[in-house]
Amino acid sequence: MKFVHSSKVPTAAGPVLFGVAFLAPLIAQSLEAASLSAPFGLRPLSFGLAVGLGLGVVAALRGRWV
Amino acid sequence: MSAAAIGTEAGRVRSERELKRAEAEIARKYMGRVPWEMVAWGLGNFVLWLSIWPLTLAGVLPLWAAFALATFCITVCYLPSHEAQHSIIATEGSPLRWLNELVGHVSTIPLLLPYRIAWITHKQHHANANDPELDPDYGNKGDTWWQAAWNGIQARQFGAGDGYRNALARSRDPNLGKAIREGSLLSLAYYAILTTLAWSGFAIEAALIWWLPRHIAMTYIQIFLSWAPHHPMEEKGRYRDTRAWRSPVGTILSMGMEYHVVHHLFPRIPLFQTGPAYREIRGLLDERGCRNDRPD
Repeated sequence: MKFVHSSKVPTAAGPVLFGVAFLAPLIAQSLEAASLSAPFGLRPLSFGLAVGLGLGVVAALRGRWV
Repeated sequence: MSAAAIGTEAGRVRSERELKRAEAEIARKYMGRVPWEMVAWGLGNFVLWLSIWPLTLAGVLPLWAAFALATFCITVCYLPSHEAQHSIIATEGSPLRWLNELVGHVSTIPLLLPYRIAWITHKQHHANANDPELDPDYGNKGDTWWQAAWNGIQARQFGAGDGYRNALARSRDPNLGKAIREGSLLSLAYYAILTTLAWSGFAIEAALIWWLPRHIAMTYIQIFLSWAPHHPMEEKGRYRDTRAWRSPVGTILSMGMEYHVVHHLFPRIPLFQTGPAYREIRGLLDERGCRNDRPD
């Protein structure tokens, strides 16, 4: 596994933190606000954490969100 | 044609010196007053954006309205700071200097752009406009506005090594250390506030009052303040690196940038005076061979 620049590990950790700290609750609360249930019987926050962490890791690996 | 004789007036060729003097005489008329409207705009807009938070969290303001208002506030927050960056509100050593610095520091907080970082990088833009290596705004170059928007989004990705980071790395400004400390603190505060709000049950409010509006605002600002006035970003030099142009969305929605050529020539002219100054100076701009894409 290789981040975009090995000297930028702290920078690459940013998206992972953002995914967990902000995107996860945002996804969970968006599901609840839309009265949608999370797939696989997961709780909204568990689903949010899985998606937020996943998006953050992918962004860290790619060096960009989009 | 020699460098010393480049313009014409009633059939007579004007020297470089005469042209410079004529330009300066016109510019002087529009400089020197305190642009109180920009002071009110900068501080009032910040207070308005702050007020969105309690009004929304208390349920007084609907979320859709909060989102629209926040997007507006953050989009228009840069220009008062821009006036302060050029010391237009008050010059160094003058009694109102504190007000200049206050507007500069406060107005761009929602945009997460610290005043000193904005000024250090903006100086490099003025000195090196359209230089692929040295202009911090060059990342917004694009053949069309949507390409410019996409390029701008790409350029500010955390792994992209964007023009602002490179400009700061090159800078020898004595305030650089302070600027970087302020930038780090502001970013830390931003992420701490977003995280705290999100885990307190206000993630959607945080996303729609700050996170998403800020991204929309940055793209809008990059299109109208960076891309459009310098498009196609291929020429350099005092009289060619920016232009006068007619915006399809009008002067207000393009934030007065149709007269950006006047700003680059005379950065101390307040934003609201660039239009009148342009109309008076345009004959000289034509003599200089400035880029003028306005049909009138």
